[in-house]
Formats: sequence, C-alpha cells, structure tokens
Amino acid sequence: MKEKILASLKRLNIEEYTINITNYKSTQMFFIKKSLDTKRAENTTTYNVNVFKKFEKDGKEMKGNSSVFIYNGMTDDEIDNALKRANLAASFVCNPTYELMECTENKFTTIESDLFNYTLEECCEKTAEALFAADNRSEVFVNSAEIFAYEYNVEIITSTGIDSGYTKRKISGEFVAQCKAPQDVETYKDFEYNCLDTEALKAKVSKTLEYTLDRAKATEAPKAGKYRVIISDSYVNDIFEYYKGRAQVGYIYAGYSTFEVGQNVQALNAEGEYAEIKGDKVSMTLVPTAPISDEGIWQKELKLLDNGELKTFYGGLRFSRYLGVEPTGFFGSANVAPGSMSVEDMKKDPYLWVVNFSDFQLDDFTGHFGGEIRLAFLYDGEKVTPVTGGSINGSIIDSQTNMHFSKEIQRSANFTGPYAMCFEDVPVAGA
Amino acid sequence: MKVKESEYLKIKKPVLQKLLNKLLDKYEYASILANDSESTNYRVSKTGTNISEDGTLSERGFCVKVYDNGKAAEYSFSAIEDDTVDAVASEIAERLGALGAKLPEGVTAYKFADIEDEKLFIDESTEYAVDPETKGDNNIIDLLTRISEKGRAYDEKIIDCRVAFSYQKYSKMFMSRNKDLTQNVMWSCGFIVVMAKDGEEIQNSYKPVSMLGGIEVLDTLESKLEDACKTAIELLSAEPMVPGEYDCICEPDVTGMIVHEAFGHGVEMDMFVKDRAQAKEFIGKQVASELITMHDGACTIPQVATYFFDDEGIPAHDTIIIDKGILKTGICDAQSAMHLGLNGTGNGRRQDMTRKAYTRMTNTIFEAGTSKVEDMIASVKHGFLLCQASSGMEDPKNWGIQLMVDIAREIKDGKLTGKIYSPIVMTGYVPDLLKSISMISDKIEAGGTGYCGKGYKEWVKVSDGGPYIKARIRLG
Repeated sequence: MKEKILASLKRLNIEEYTINITNYKSTQMFFIKKSLDTKRAENTTTYNVNVFKKFEKDGKEMKGNSSVFIYNGMTDDEIDNALKRANLAASFVCNPTYELMECTENKFTTIESDLFNYTLEECCEKTAEALFAADNRSEVFVNSAEIFAYEYNVEIITSTGIDSGYTKRKISGEFVAQCKAPQDVETYKDFEYNCLDTEALKAKVSKTLEYTLDRAKATEAPKAGKYRVIISDSYVNDIFEYYKGRAQVGYIYAGYSTFEVGQNVQALNAEGEYAEIKGDKVSMTLVPTAPISDEGIWQKELKLLDNGELKTFYGGLRFSRYLGVEPTGFFGSANVAPGSMSVEDMKKDPYLWVVNFSDFQLDDFTGHFGGEIRLAFLYDGEKVTPVTGGSINGSIIDSQTNMHFSKEIQRSANFTGPYAMCFEDVPVAGA
Repeated sequence: MKVKESEYLKIKKPVLQKLLNKLLDKYEYASILANDSESTNYRVSKTGTNISEDGTLSERGFCVKVYDNGKAAEYSFSAIEDDTVDAVASEIAERLGALGAKLPEGVTAYKFADIEDEKLFIDESTEYAVDPETKGDNNIIDLLTRISEKGRAYDEKIIDCRVAFSYQKYSKMFMSRNKDLTQNVMWSCGFIVVMAKDGEEIQNSYKPVSMLGGIEVLDTLESKLEDACKTAIELLSAEPMVPGEYDCICEPDVTGMIVHEAFGHGVEMDMFVKDRAQAKEFIGKQVASELITMHDGACTIPQVATYFFDDEGIPAHDTIIIDKGILKTGICDAQSAMHLGLNGTGNGRRQDMTRKAYTRMTNTIFEAGTSKVEDMIASVKHGFLLCQASSGMEDPKNWGIQLMVDIAREIKDGKLTGKIYSPIVMTGYVPDLLKSISMISDKIEAGGTGYCGKGYKEWVKVSDGGPYIKARIRLG
C-alpha cells in the first residue's frame, strides 16, 4: 500500500506530503469481578496522507494542507481520487507558507521495554495476574477491570526524504474497586506503563482498595469555605498541564497566552503583574513518548521551566516556523522536580486532602481547576475525618505563587514528579 | 435525498460472507460488523484554516464476534481479500485461542448461554438536503471564514473566533447466520467559539448546531454569532458563585447535560451487570418529579445518534426510561442483556471497529411540559438562569452530580438582574434534583456537537436535550 500511495502522489504531481503508517496490534481483556467476560485481539493498519499545496493570495505566498485516510484494498483509481480531493481542498486552506521538516537522518528504532520479552497475550495475562494478586481482601474488592496490551509500528515518510519509524509497546487499563459496607461505594483508577511494572500496579490496586474502604466510612461533605487543599497522585500532573498548555506555540501565535521566554511565568498574577513566589518553584522537563513526531521532528527531552522561568516554547511545525523557533513536536510525558516539604510536613497544619475526585479538570485558558470530591481527608487540627461530597474550585493563577510540592515522587508512563502538592485558601463548595 | 450505500461494502460482502461461513463452521455463533465511514473537519480561526479527515470517525474496518463454547471473543482487522479469507480465519482462531489460556488464580472465563439470532433484514438510509461534498470545500471554508472574521471584528477584547463544521457519512453492515443488515447514515454539526481576553484571564462562549443531515445545518449558525460575542465579553466580568442551594432555571442544553450525565449514565445496564448502578434498586420507584418523562433511543428523535441498528445487530428502540417520575427500565447492549436475561434495547455501540461494544446512550431527552419560559423566570424570588453547559461526569453508583456550566445569570424578584457568575459547579444527589423539578417549558431543544465517553474513553456521538426546567440545585 505504501508504494501505491507514493506512486499516486507522483502521478498527481503532488510535491509536498507526509505519510503516517501505523500498524496496531493489541490484546484486550475485560473482567467483571473474577470472571473474564470478553477477550479481544486486533491487527489493523491506518494510512494517513497529509498533502501540502503552495499558492499565492493577495501577493502573499501561502501553503495549504489537507489530510486524508487511505485504506487497505483501495484500487489505484480510488487512491488517486482521494488524494486529488485532498489536493484540491489544500488549495482553499489559506495559511502563510512555511517549510516542511528537513531530513537530517533516517532510522527505525525500537523503544526498549521488557514487554518485548513476551507475546502480547502474555503481557495481558501477566498484568491481569498482578492486578488480581492485590485483590485479596474480603470487605473491599475489584469490581471490574479492563487490560490492554498494545504494539505500535509507526512509519513516517515525507516528501523531504524522511523515512523513519519506531516500534513501541505499552500496557494500559482501568479498574473499579468496590466496598459494600458500611455504605456501597466505588473508586475508579486507570494505569499506563511502558514496561511490565507489575509491582507498581499491585501497589496501585492495594492503595485504591484502601481508599475505597475509607470512602465507605465517609458520610459528610466538608463545610463550605476556604481550605488548605492537598492533592496527590495523577491530579498533580493535571495541574502542571497549565504551564504546558500556555507554553505551546499554537497558544503563543494566537495570542491566547502571553508567556514569554525568559519570563518568570509562575510569578504572574491575574493582572499580568509580578508577585513574590513564597512556595516551591516549578522546574519542568517535557519528555517525548515517541522518538519522531507525525511531522518528522526528532524529539528529545526539553527543559520547559526552571524555577518558574519559561525556558522555551514548544510544539508543532507550522506555528514554530511562524514564530521562528525550533520545532520540537508534542510531548506526552513530563518530569517535574520535587519540592521542599514531605507529605508529613504538609499534613502538620489543618488541611483538606482530596485523594479522589469524580472528574478533576484544569482549564488552561482560565487557570481554574477543580472537581467534585469523592474522598478527602479533613484534618481540623485535632482529628482526621474522611469526607465526601462538595467540590473544590481553585485558580492556578491565584495559587501559583504559594503552592508547595512534596519531596516524595510518583512515576507513571506520562509523569514523574511530586506525589502531592498543597494550595492555600482554595474555595470549597461543601455542605 | 437518501444517503447512498457504500460501494466498498457491497464489493466486500461476498468475501465477508465466505469468512462468516468459515467462522460458523468453528464457532456456535459468529457475526461480522463492517464499517465504511468518511468524515471531514473544517476549522477556521485567527491562526489559520484546516480541512482534514477525522481520524476517529473515518474508518474502513471489520469486527468479528464469536462465542466459542459460550465464551465471548472479538477480533478487529482492516484488510481482507478473496484470497486471504483462510489466512484471516486462521489468525482469528490463533490469536483468540492464545489469549486467556492462562488466567489468574481464582479467575474463570464466563460462559454465556446460547445467543439469540433472530431472522432480520434491514436496508435503510437517513435523509439529507445538501451533501457537503456537493457544496464544495471552498464554499464551506468561505462561509466559516466570513463568520470568523465578523466575530473577530466585533470587539477589541475578542482575541479569536473559531468556527467549525464536521460531518460523518457512514455505512454499516451486520452479518450473522440469520441477520443481514445495512444502514447508511449522515450527521452534521458546527460551532462557534468566541474567545475574549482581559489581563491573564481568557473566557470563551460556545454556540453549537447539529442535525441528522448535511450541510444545511449551517443555515442557522451565523445568527448565533452576536450572542456568542456578547457572552464571551460578559464572562470577563463574571463573579465567583457564592456556594449555596438556589432555585434555578436550566436552559435546554443544561437540561440535556442533567439528562445525560446525571441520570442517563446511571441507567446503562452494563452497570447493572457489574453492580455499579444505584438505579438497579429503583426500577418501579419514583426517582423524579411526576412532570418528568425521559426517553433514550436511536429512533427517539432525528439527531446525530440516530441509526437503524446498533453495533451488535439489534434494531433501534425508543426506550421510555422514566414515565411521569417513575423509573421504568434502563438501556442495554446485547451481551449485558444476556447477563440480565433481558432483550437488548439497541444501545450496543463501539467507538470504532477496534473497540468493544458497551451500553451507550443515543438521543436522550426529557419530554416537554406546559409552562412558558417567562413565567418560569418570573416565579423565582432569588436564583439563577443556568446557561452554556460545559462538562459533566457520571456517578451511577452514588448518583452524585458533578456538572459544570459556564454561566449563571442572576434572577431577583422574577427578573434577570444582568449580573453573571462563572464558572459554576452543580453538585448534589440526582433524585433530589430531579424530584425538585417544579416547572417545565412547553418546547424541547436537543443537540449533539460533542461526544460521550464511558469513563474516560470510548467516545461516541450522542445528542441530548429537553425543555427549560425549574429545579432546586446546589451551586458552587
């Protein structure tokens, strides 16, 4: 099929293009309690062709593009017609011109992982074994679980001579823990690993079962008011998405973000003025989850923030070219430096530690973050009480100069950084 | 005009029939779902223009389902030719046979009773007025560009006006020993997002349109622009909500989010199978005000989730879930129905051919009532008109509400004061909210520009809506 696509592009005199070919192999298992309900396997391939067209409008050089999918089994005529339509559509896309990614080297790599030591079926089965090994309590248990083992074979081809790719594997899934007494409650958790980290999964299941037991005892919502709020686990990663969102070239070019390289963006308040950072400073490195992007950008780790100071913009080709910065591609993972306090130190003063939200959200446009509290621990200075209900409604812009990160770290496929973080005076809508 | 059938599926049908026959020789049940789907997204904003085929909606692929000695298994693939039928059949047997051979201690594979496979033939198509392909990419982009430029010129605080149009045209074919089903469907939608900025704060307002049909959906989009611009600017001076319980009037899109997120997910009966839904205990009981009648179904209303059969070959239904406040039933996919000893309701849906089918909502609505909107607002002493639903999360287990809306317009002594609050989190217990509904307007509106997830994945197109409702709601 690759040759058929290249031949069609040549026949149609399409000079600039990128082709992304991905073969997906997967095995999937779906459990209800301790019963395998359904199993699935997959072997599919997608061919996505992005066609570029140069033209002039009002005396300015333009470059439009349009992408289309080509499918296995398409005839030469069908491929020609699909690419012709994309080529015509590209001529209506009036974007200022820019250069495609040049070819610096070509190689095919395999992202190292112990998952390659096993078949995909074995990867799924070993993950199931780890998950159910931790499901060993009578009062709280795994209600249901889904496990996916994926292998991706990706090839990127461009008209500038790039023909490179990579193979990678990953394990992902989710599970729900349930506790029936004193009240019937549940907790949802997902997971994703680039290696067969069965110990991390066992620990995650155990911790989730423990929290679910606590939630079963929680009956009251916290009283409405302002609290010193601690969040932990994956919610910490969500907070740092604010900086990642506002530093991307698409936001900068559009004027959605006023971040500037060299600026201490963590010190900015809502009026755009500088304030003193009293808490921990953010140092953040972006980490690629693939060696080469869909546009042919070879990706490497990138220092985004150093003690709150923005070191660089990042993002895709077109907006990087417009801004005159190096294209870096997009990043699926980040490392954030741990902070100055231990979790125990954070818990010395009264706090509301939210360990489970129904759906935690951060809006990188407004800086608002929050969600409904499924389980939190409230310390009033004397005793710790599990609470449930109500919601937090914070603002990273208001909080960023006085937030603290834990010394303890967490690791997952898409984040390595503080296990917990703490904010002062966060509004809580409670009982 | 009717949406045409897929030439590709027509050509592949004999090859797939050959594969099906081979599978039926080996397994007690086998079915094949085939999909040929095309879709295009058109986007115009200050930063540029984009025309691209949608990677999640465009697909040519196949999904085989088998029951092997009562055990359920599926295989997804994207290529088959007349001379590769044997190879595909062998790969299916090999890969499904190898998986689950070694299960964790104490875990067993569930054995289903014989699956019902009633004789059924369907060959249907939805209708449209103008095919987006006929309209032409240039004309679509011209229209979107005009709206975007007009929005950006409205006020200096407006930093962008994103305008978009998308459509999906799909043909699906379902084959089993006794079923021969074909459907051809097209839906379209569009939206305007106006972004306004003041200092570091950015606010946006969103106006959607959607329908079962073609590019004619854009006929009303431009008329929504001025309201979108005004709202985005208003939001820059919005105040934070003072937490508390208030009398609220919900606009139809907020009603739709309550219908869908707060209640609809709770009656997806795969959650009954897992013992994850409180609704299971409330069948036959009052869960809402007697003013409330709730429907879900692919043939409930013509909208973006309309179809003739689901992804498991079950015909579309119009299910009455709540009848005058009483919970009557839930909605169900075929395999969950087998667990529960019920019949499927035509709600088994897949994100695409590489995904499992789950119980999913389709077009979900509250029926209209008799009140006039102005009388509803006039009846509020101190409360809010809630507008612009933004996001929500289901909680079938505990019926907890977590819904976000962008705007609360203050009402005092029956009149809108002009003061607005944002962002707003709606919380509480679902039946408390539904039972507090005291007035319902006489017209419904429904739409579906977004997608619904199952937890945090498995996105499918849905619509929701209803009338304006008056209810007592906890806001934060």
